[in-house]
Amino acid sequence: MMNKFENFVFGILDNPKKKKMVLILTAVAFVLSLLMFPTKIVLAKMLPGKSDNTFSVYVDTPSGTSIEQTNRVSQCVIDLMKKENEVLNIELFLGQGMPLDYAGLVKGSGMKQAENVAEIAVNLTDKHERDEPSYLMVKRLRPIVQKQCEGIIKNTSIKFVEQPAGPPTMASIVVEVHGDNIQKDRDISSDVVKILKSTNGLVDVDIFGDKMYQQYQLIPDKEKIAGSGVSVEQLNNILYLAFEGMIVGEKNTQEYSDQIPIFLSLDKESKSMESSDELDVQNKLSSLNLMSPTGAMVSVSDLVTLKKVDSNPVIMHKDLDRMINVVAETDMVSQVYPLLDARSKMIDYFSKNYEVTKVPGMSTYMFDLNLKDKKTGEKFLLRWDGEMKVTLDTFRDLGGAFIAALVLIFLLLVVYYKSFTLSGIVLLGSFLSLIGVIVGHFVANLVTRDTFFLTATSLIGFIALMGISSRNSLLLIDFAKSLMECHGIPKRKAIAVAAATRAKPIALTAVAIILGSALLASDPIFGGLGVALISGTIAAVFVSLLFVPILMDNAKAMDFEPEVCDIKEDISITK
Amino acid sequence: MIMQTQHEVYKTKDIAGRLASGFLKNPLTALLGAFLLLMGYLALSIMPREEDPQIAISGGTIMVAMPGATANEVEKVIVNPLERRLREIKGIEHIQGMAMDNVGIVNVMYYIGQNREDSNLKLYDKVMQNMDELPKGAMQPIVKPFDIDIDIPIVTVAFYAKDPKKINQVQLYNKIRSIQQELNGIDSVSKTTLKGDHRAQYNVQVDLNKLSGYNLSLGQIMQGIQAVANGVPSVKSRTSNGGMVVLGVKNAIESVEDVGNIAVADYGGSLIYLRDVATVTEGTDIQNFKNATIMFRDESGSKMSNEYAQTTLSISKLAGTNAVNVANDVLDVLKNNDRMLQDAGIGYVVTRNYGTRADNAVNELMQHLIITIIIISIMLIFALGWRESLIVTFTVPAILAITLFVAYLGGQTINRITLFAFLLSLGLLVDAAIIVIENIHRHLHSHTAENQSMEELLVEATDEIGPPTNIATLAIILTMVPMAFVGGMMGSFMKPIPLNVPVALVASLFVAYIFTPYLSLKLLKKPTHNSTHKETK
Repeated sequence: MMNKFENFVFGILDNPKKKKMVLILTAVAFVLSLLMFPTKIVLAKMLPGKSDNTFSVYVDTPSGTSIEQTNRVSQCVIDLMKKENEVLNIELFLGQGMPLDYAGLVKGSGMKQAENVAEIAVNLTDKHERDEPSYLMVKRLRPIVQKQCEGIIKNTSIKFVEQPAGPPTMASIVVEVHGDNIQKDRDISSDVVKILKSTNGLVDVDIFGDKMYQQYQLIPDKEKIAGSGVSVEQLNNILYLAFEGMIVGEKNTQEYSDQIPIFLSLDKESKSMESSDELDVQNKLSSLNLMSPTGAMVSVSDLVTLKKVDSNPVIMHKDLDRMINVVAETDMVSQVYPLLDARSKMIDYFSKNYEVTKVPGMSTYMFDLNLKDKKTGEKFLLRWDGEMKVTLDTFRDLGGAFIAALVLIFLLLVVYYKSFTLSGIVLLGSFLSLIGVIVGHFVANLVTRDTFFLTATSLIGFIALMGISSRNSLLLIDFAKSLMECHGIPKRKAIAVAAATRAKPIALTAVAIILGSALLASDPIFGGLGVALISGTIAAVFVSLLFVPILMDNAKAMDFEPEVCDIKEDISITK
Repeated sequence: MIMQTQHEVYKTKDIAGRLASGFLKNPLTALLGAFLLLMGYLALSIMPREEDPQIAISGGTIMVAMPGATANEVEKVIVNPLERRLREIKGIEHIQGMAMDNVGIVNVMYYIGQNREDSNLKLYDKVMQNMDELPKGAMQPIVKPFDIDIDIPIVTVAFYAKDPKKINQVQLYNKIRSIQQELNGIDSVSKTTLKGDHRAQYNVQVDLNKLSGYNLSLGQIMQGIQAVANGVPSVKSRTSNGGMVVLGVKNAIESVEDVGNIAVADYGGSLIYLRDVATVTEGTDIQNFKNATIMFRDESGSKMSNEYAQTTLSISKLAGTNAVNVANDVLDVLKNNDRMLQDAGIGYVVTRNYGTRADNAVNELMQHLIITIIIISIMLIFALGWRESLIVTFTVPAILAITLFVAYLGGQTINRITLFAFLLSLGLLVDAAIIVIENIHRHLHSHTAENQSMEELLVEATDEIGPPTNIATLAIILTMVPMAFVGGMMGSFMKPIPLNVPVALVASLFVAYIFTPYLSLKLLKKPTHNSTHKETK
């Protein structure tokens, strides 16, 4: 067995044609596997979804919606949820966020406190006893729920929120529309929403920020107020007291754990208006009286004039710039591809009215677009943030870590061998395990039900692989070197013998790594690491037993002269 | 032993051989092994368990209210100057401002990994220093730093009234309040909060028609109530002979009836009481629009229950404490209160328990680790023989024990990522032992084996592969080191990998050099075949 392998390696080394073929085959395999990225055969994503025992639904009705209306939408969602067999319990939090979790932390769930928000927490049966992973369940329910419930109140947005597998981000895709002109910002962002909505693979598209709605402005008549002897402050107070109510006193108690407040407001009938018509509002105000210092009653409607205006939308800033956020989630796909799709659509669309330029250079903001209004010359910036930014940052950092690792290993080898060529061989050999990593992901994608992404953990696996495969080459070179030095075995033969002898421990440790990573591969998050280690190790074994010997044979640095070894015992070459 | 005279005693050249020969005959070696395993076990049982590693996220929110100002005004006089000032702080990654009618909010996010206490202090400091720049009419700024550990509850419990007629929201609230008090007494519990709670309140709802009928204004009603609602502390006075007289004014309002009996006006000689113009009830805080409900599957799991109004009690833990223990303590308190809750007609559902989640995740991964070790040892039986396999299998728990103990000393917690680091290193850390045992195996079966004593052979076999193994392991460690410098959330999230894998690898070297030859001496024997095998090369 061992002799056979020894002869096989020697056969290759001794035949320049065979040697060339192995080298060419390796190069072809390397190029082909790299081509799997641009051809989208292997897809990249930061982290895949993880099945969990819970997910939540955020209901956002437009600003100015009452709690009763928000409740109606929420009840619609709950009605659909409770039909699901795997749902254990459903909690509804009206007018507030649910108890904070990792997803809510960055999505502003803790700050929610308004009549137009609700959060629904859905707890499922244990993931081990359930066939359908939570992310597939969300994917299935999302269109049904949105179709049936978003129509109840116009402009409602219903978002499904899953627990992130890794660190939380605000949304998969965030487009920040920067610009000083708020009105234009709003226009651009609604165009962005339209484009994102028409892009395949994107769901839950929403503008982060409130919609404008109609409201009445009460304009105090200064002369009348001065004439009647009341103050504007008094007027404000009375209006607030009447419609919102106020706590006007507290009572201490031994019976309860808190003070009991005394709350004063108008009763329901007195508060409610016939309709939101100006006349009805005017009527209600006229029945509300203020008392002047002289004791005379003055009607509120006498002191103010009514005016219908648009509400003041919230002005958002990021890093001192005015901007508006548009968010979108991905529907079980990587965010990279819909992003590029949407981006080219945006370039087409905005080219009509704006000069669109791409941000030059490579950075983690490299997808940003600069817009310049053709008429006014106003400048706007479309910035991609969210998970995409985190992904780019992470891949950049991991890439940097990888290069640093390469350099460190190379220096270490140079110190050890005192030869650049030998160190280069080891490094090249370990780099080629990338073939295995990419092909492994391709195979994993074929055999799994959902898309198997190349993730950040795959990269970590690859970095670890570098070390593992360089060790294989190291042991090989070391062994061949001492065979040549101490035994005077000719170079080619020595390399073949070394490959054959080292084949067993190399294969053994490889099997250990493969078995050790087998269970890792089934994990949703660390699957990439597992697959990278398994397939990369297989590739590394082939590379170090076939490819590296050829390089060693070709390298002049491998020509060691026989010398007197102080090793008393020879390196035995028995089975 | 005659052979010894012919051969020089093998001289060790590498740390590998030195370690091997040093510990080979040492009686303390076995003790050291046992000690390491014990330390690892101790670390495993006392280390805090969590599901996800802790990420040091610092940041905060500053809120400044300015009643009556529009969004545009708020932007100009509050948000813009505040943002400019905050920009002066070092270590801030993003500042997000929101200007809306009446209030301005600025959110600050520090770079990941910034010291939390320092960051909070800097934030306070900057806001306080610039208080004088606040515009007239603005209220005192509210600074709220956020803290993941405290803000994210690990257990949430939803309490509901089984029969809403029997127990009202206020009684429910009071019962939960008493449980909350008890929970706060538990070790390592930091913050407990209520959601969906409704408190007792006297509601005075004025009928506008009646009000105008008596020709009264709302302002008068307010003044009327305020006039009697204040509690007064006892007053003291002296008698002429130096004694003390204490006068205590009884609270004017003792019950809801007292509120109704407040006289608000004198209308043509007859007093008008509050109850004449308003409905006065003892109820809950009607102005609070926040509500919470729950529906759940019944015991049999077949049907969804009705929707109940509920109050959720959420419990957070202190940083660096064991989620599992805290969660269990909380559940114990609930169990102790079971009777009381039953009697009161209150049911509860535990809607979140990160404790069990963390425990399950950790236990599942521990299981994976054990399965993997077993698989590897079976593989080795076939490849090397059962004695050799046994030796390698022993090294794994020893290495993991050392790594766990070091992690414990470093203040880490056991979480998903730590265990993944272990799983990842598992394939790597048996390598050193495999390489050593394989070389021993080879030497034992080589033709020179008879000429050497067992001890010498073991030391030599270990020593021989020392240099390349050291370099190779160092190479793997070097690949892991740069990962520690990956920034951002992902870097912090993955940190246990660069922290633990190198430790495990270094430990694997030491264990391989110390324990593999030691155990080989105890377990392996030289093959007794008389070798006629002749080396030809």
